[in-house]
This record gives sequence, structure tokens and C-alpha cells, in this order.
Amino acid sequence: MRAAALYTRQPRHWWLAVSWLTVVCLAALLAPVASSPPDFAQLSQPPFLNARHWLGTNAQGLDVGQALLQGARTVVVVSVPATLLTFLLGSIMGSLAGFLQNNRWQASPQLLLSILLPLASSIFIGPRWLVAQLLLLPCLATLLWLGGCQVFRGWRGVPVPVDTLVMGMISLLDSLPLLILVLIAAAVQRPSLSGLLLLLSLTCWTTPARLMRAATLRVKALPYTEAAEAAGLPATQIIRRHIWPNTWQVLLTRFPLTVAMLIGFETTLSFLGVGLPPEVPSWGRLLAGIRQSPTDWWLLAWPGLALVLTILSLQLLARRK
Amino acid sequence: MIRRALRQGLRGFLLTWLTLSTLFLATRAATDKATLIQSTLEGNARLSGLPEQLALTQQLLHRYNLDRPLFYLSWQPAAGWQWHGSHNQYHQWLLQLAQGSLGYSYQQDAPVIHLLGRALRYTLPLTMLAAGLSLLLAIQLALWVSCRPTARSLMLAVLHALQSIPLVLLTVCLLLLLANPDVVAWFPAFGLGDAETEMNWLQQPGYLLYHLTLPVLSLVLVSLPALTIQLDGALRQELSQKYIVTARAKGASRSRAVRQHALRNALLPSITLLTELLPSLVAGSVVVEVLFALPGMGRLLAEAAATQDYPVLVGAAGLTALVRLLAQALADMLYQMADPRIRLSQ
Repeated sequence: MRAAALYTRQPRHWWLAVSWLTVVCLAALLAPVASSPPDFAQLSQPPFLNARHWLGTNAQGLDVGQALLQGARTVVVVSVPATLLTFLLGSIMGSLAGFLQNNRWQASPQLLLSILLPLASSIFIGPRWLVAQLLLLPCLATLLWLGGCQVFRGWRGVPVPVDTLVMGMISLLDSLPLLILVLIAAAVQRPSLSGLLLLLSLTCWTTPARLMRAATLRVKALPYTEAAEAAGLPATQIIRRHIWPNTWQVLLTRFPLTVAMLIGFETTLSFLGVGLPPEVPSWGRLLAGIRQSPTDWWLLAWPGLALVLTILSLQLLARRK
Repeated sequence: MIRRALRQGLRGFLLTWLTLSTLFLATRAATDKATLIQSTLEGNARLSGLPEQLALTQQLLHRYNLDRPLFYLSWQPAAGWQWHGSHNQYHQWLLQLAQGSLGYSYQQDAPVIHLLGRALRYTLPLTMLAAGLSLLLAIQLALWVSCRPTARSLMLAVLHALQSIPLVLLTVCLLLLLANPDVVAWFPAFGLGDAETEMNWLQQPGYLLYHLTLPVLSLVLVSLPALTIQLDGALRQELSQKYIVTARAKGASRSRAVRQHALRNALLPSITLLTELLPSLVAGSVVVEVLFALPGMGRLLAEAAATQDYPVLVGAAGLTALVRLLAQALADMLYQMADPRIRLSQ
């Protein structure tokens, strides 16, 4: 019943978008793991003329069709997990900043002591006797915590400016355009596949964090949240049970857009030759082949078409929800 | 007001210092001295033949400010933490920065500040032109479709499709269509032509413009959709307000109501776009400059990243961060001027 209602509600181009994205996901699943060796007998073959390479080959003799399939896998493997990580990080930071603000969380003296003292001693000792440090310092922290509970009974906590800290981090990250940040990071250390994933999610979490902070501030002012606070529920429970159900939809429309942004960004990086390691096939790398052989239009057409269709479908999804 | 400005200035200063320090320390820690010296010596045939290699190495290290410990503190496996006082790279770099020097490029035989200045001379015309054109075009388009519903839905569809094409793809397409001897070669495919060619001051801007047409076109096509869609949405919202009805009831024509009454309010959210636009102006468009081989900021950055020329990278990043902060301050000011009702929270 609901499925039928869903079917009639969505316009036709929504279904086209979904089916194209399914095709991309299927290609990612079915793509061969090992690339076949380059066919040196047939370099720069145009498409449709050759029985074995019917999407053509590039100047190195690689089959364009196969590279497209494998590039689809890279697209899915990089952009979707990166978006998920970005959103996880962003929503945690954003809702904490929005809910705790600057004075809600009062760290008790024993907590501060049991974190800061072992940390300071670890820095002082430096990187030696690692095993002993790993064993002893948590014990020290626990002892300090237990002792502190007795000693500091009745003391007032120190307010932790969570909001200021998170917003400061956001403006620090936002002070440089994303492409420049990634260029510098790639110059220091050329990223691997997982490194690129981490780099992208560590730099892109600011937008979801901002959105979540705004949504949390809005929901926090509603009477039912105040009622939950008055009932004395702990902060984690209020965030999880009362605030989250009303804020996570904010990210839902953002999800396809972020995936699309990351796909475009990853293509740009691969095109410039700073993104993924050279052995990972990607649409951007395939596109870059056109710079060496400008007459091979099929090097531009197929990956370009796949890229535009994917990004267009994702944007359609974002607008229809 | 003055306290607010002071506070914001202090915050911006702190942010820039933090960003630059992090970048400096990270890149310096990653610098491999031996490879750097070797590549410099080998790259310069005049130096490699000389017998005093050791003294030369010392001189080079001194020039790059690499002949001392990195930070105030360093970790020695034998002695534990060691304090170096002010005799360290970071301190030296900060002092130089305060005097307006950004260090010496590892790869090119010039101070970083000269390189940046030279790159900006090419980047600024390109990006300013692109930004101005796309803003003007966006306003005109939004105004034009504001009272034409059919044209509006058509334009939105086209813009949404245009938005899904990444800059790389768009630029390559333009390059292959309009600067290709096999299709139509209306525009030059790369560079800015011979600067040495004899030209009077009247011809020169035209010549530059001819070479900048395709890069500017690709930048405009990429930035236009977002601007226009946003402005169109804001305009529509303003047009449904009651003051528009009042204006129309008083006898203002439809276009006058849009241009004189609604546009001013609809432009307000676009001011925030300034903070995005200005830093990307300075950073240049890396993709466009690399593809069209223009000697601007973006290409400088890309080449510095590829050859690990860290002083140039840090300098360019610092310049971009600084411009971004200035843009933020400017946007705040414009916001207050455009709508005095807005009181910025402390």
C-alpha cells in the first residue's frame, strides 16, 4: 500500500535518477577487481569499431569501458563512506555545541584533574616506556577520580566552552578553501585511499556541524525539551531521545548534495593528479587522458557523461525529498 | 562598535596565526633536507661543479632557514625534552613574517613574496572579471525571469543541469570545442600570448581580453547557477510580501516594483556569498589556470604542491586566509549598512 503510494507520488525523472544510481552501484559491485593488461596492439581506438573494446581505448591501450566500471567502484567507495563519516562527525560536534553551549557542561574538578594530570605527565615523559605508560596512566586517572570524588565533594564545576571551541575549529578549517587545504595535505603526504577518505571527512564536517547546531538550538528552545530538562534527564539522553529525532532530517536533504560535491571534488583531484594513488582507476584520471591526446573525444565523452548523470541524479534526489 | 571591531580583529589575527603556524610546522617537519639540497645542487649546473660542497650546503640551509631546530622544544631520545630558546626555525620565521618576508622558494630562485605578486598580477584580472560578470549576469537573469513564469522554469532547469557539471569537465569541453583546430579555433588554447610583442597601450587590454575569454567564460558558467538560483528564490520570497502589493497599489509598474523595491531586500543574503567569493578570487581557480596554462596563483599553488615547494604553499595559503578574514569583516559591515535592523550578536 505504502509502496504503491510512493510509486504514484514520485515524478518520472525521480525514477530515472534512482535507476541511474542503481546502475552505478551495480557497476561498482560487478567491476573486475584486477585490471586487464593494456592492449598495446590497439592504442587510442575509437569506440563502436572494435569488437573487443567497444567503448574505445586510451593512449596507453587501456579499455575505456573497464576503466569506467572500475571508476564507478572508486566513486562509490570514496564518496559514500566519506559523506557518512563527515555527517557523523559533523552531527556529533554540531549537536554538542548547540546543546551544551558555553556553560551547560560543568566539568567537575576531579574530572579535570584526572584528565589533565596524566596527560601532562605523559607529555613530560615523552615517547618512551610506552607499555608502562599505557598501563599506569589510566590507573593514575582512576585513582585521581576516586580520590577527587571524596576530596572535592560540594565544589562547583568549571564550565567548558564547548560552543566556542567547536565554532573556533570550524572557522579555522573554513579559513582556507577546500581545494587548497587538500593540495597542501597532498604535498606533505600523498594520500592513500583510506587517507583521502579521512582527509575529506576531517575537512568537510563543518557544514553539517553548522546545520546541526542551528537545528539543535531551534529544538532546544521548544517546550518539550525544557520539560525533559526539568524532569532531570541526563544530557546524553535528552540529545538522543528528544533532540536527535527532530534534527536529523536536516541532514537528509544534504546527503545526496554532499555525495555529489565529493564526487566532483574527487574527480578534480584525480584530474590534477594529486588525489588517489595512480594505481586506483577513477573517472578523473580517465578524463585527464584527454590532455595528452586531445583528438580522442571518447576519453571525454564517456566519463564526462557518467559524471554528469550521477551528479544530476543526486541533485534531483535532494530536491524531491 | 569599536570594541566589536577590535574583538573581531583580534580573533581574526589569532585564527590566521594558528592556521599559518600549523601549516608551517607541518610542512617543515615533512621537509627532507638531504633531498632538497641535492636537488638544488643538481638543478643548478653552476653550483654542482664547485669543490666546496660542504660550505655550499651550509649556505643553502641557512638561506632556507633550515640550519637550526624546528621549534622551541624538541625531543631527544637520550636527553628527553630539550629547550632551544629563540634559536629555532619557527621563531626566525615569525620574526621574518612580522617584517613582511615570507621566506625563500625551494624550487625557484626568488623570494616567495615576489612570486606571489607576479602571480596575482595575472590572477586578479581573470577572477575579478569572472566574479563581476557572474554577479551582473545573475542579477539581470533573476530580474528578467521574475515576471515571466515560463522562461523561469526553463531557465531553472537549464541552470540545475549546468550546476551538475564540474568545473574540470566544463573547462575541458570549452577548450576542446572553441580552441581546437579540428572544430573551431576561435580562441587561443593556452597562455597569455607573448608579453614582449610590441603593442601600444590601446591594444594591450584587448589582447589580454582575447586570451582571457575562455577562462573567464568557464568560471562564469560554473559560478552563475548557484548565484542565480539563490537570488531568484530570494526575489520570489520578497515579491510575495505585502509591501510589494502596496507599491503596486500606489501605481508602480511591475518592473519598477521588482527593481526598486524587491531587489534591494533580495540582495541581502547574497552579501554572505562575498566571504566565499573573495578568497577564491585570490586563490584563483586552480583548475582553470592549470588547464589554460595561465601563470597565476592557482597554477603557482598546484606547481608548488607537486614539487613540494613548502614556503610558496604556506605563503599562498596565508594570503588566502587573510583575504577571507577581510572578506568576512567586509560582509559584516555591508550587512549592517544594507539592513540597519540587524544587530549582530556578540
